[in-house]
Amino acid sequence: MTTEVAIALLIVASGTFLMRAVPLHWMQRHLSRRSEQSAPPPAWLGLSGPLLIAALLGVSSVPSPPSAAAWGAVAVGLTVTALVWWRYRALGIPILAGVLSYGVVIWLAAALV
Amino acid sequence: MTSVIILPSVRLGLRHSLPIVSGYMPVAVAFGVIATQAGLSPLAATLVSTLMYSGASQFLFIALLANGASPWLAAALALLINLRHIVYGPSLAAELPCHPRLRWLAHGLTDEVFALASAGLTRQPWAQRIDWLTGVALGAWSSWVAGTLIGSLAGEWLTSHWPLLAQVLPFALPALFLVLIAPRFGSKRWSTALTIAAIAGALFAAFDLPNLGLPLAALCGALAYWRLS
Repeated sequence: MTTEVAIALLIVASGTFLMRAVPLHWMQRHLSRRSEQSAPPPAWLGLSGPLLIAALLGVSSVPSPPSAAAWGAVAVGLTVTALVWWRYRALGIPILAGVLSYGVVIWLAAALV
Repeated sequence: MTSVIILPSVRLGLRHSLPIVSGYMPVAVAFGVIATQAGLSPLAATLVSTLMYSGASQFLFIALLANGASPWLAAALALLINLRHIVYGPSLAAELPCHPRLRWLAHGLTDEVFALASAGLTRQPWAQRIDWLTGVALGAWSSWVAGTLIGSLAGEWLTSHWPLLAQVLPFALPALFLVLIAPRFGSKRWSTALTIAAIAGALFAAFDLPNLGLPLAALCGALAYWRLS
């Protein structure tokens, strides 16, 4: 690793850290001032979390590279995950079932080609 | 003899980080392979994952350097990709007690840790939330660093022996995101907003705009939510 690359790495690492830490710290100070004035937290705070997770779900579901088999595996995996969650209302078992069903479709598609 | 005592809430956080770990490991191994192919030593590749700790921007940074781009351009573009992280902290701020450890925990606030924390913090007692988040962040971060080290030392051997495993395990991440938002689907308003955000996110990703698309997709969902009020 050259000195230039090492400095660039340190710039990205510190920049990323500041992007994660400063807004969190700023908002906590802002909220503690509001709570001293008995003002409720802004409504968008409760909205942004679930909506960003939904956006992450969409972004991470797109297979790379895309193919009919990969899209089929995503559809099956997400359906199984949702159904198992509906049955158990837990975190681990639905994810395990979703990954296994996704893997079975990928394996079947590879075996059939 | 000294022994390390891990608080129960840290242990619970570590256990809850397992879906993230299973999603991170294969991707981190792949990063280790690519970084060593680009000329980095295993130590340097692991250092990148330890300090930068941001999947998409790490891949971009290394790919640009391998293609002969200037390190400054690679750094600028990597930072641009990470701009989306700005919205994560404010979204979690109300759910976390003020604590000096938060400054360092912010380093672990990746997309996946944010998603898990956003849905899971309210289920933890107020006094134990920092410890729980420590467990989640530590589990995710250590798996990313360990995966990179493994990938840079033995990645090609691993992916040639178990190619299906490397292809299948990353599906743990969308499955995790689905499970985290599933409880909200009881309300028609939330169902519509979340479905729109997810579809918009997928469309942005399909058109190769995953990073810019992430906040925009969430905004589409927010507009639908307010429209239905």
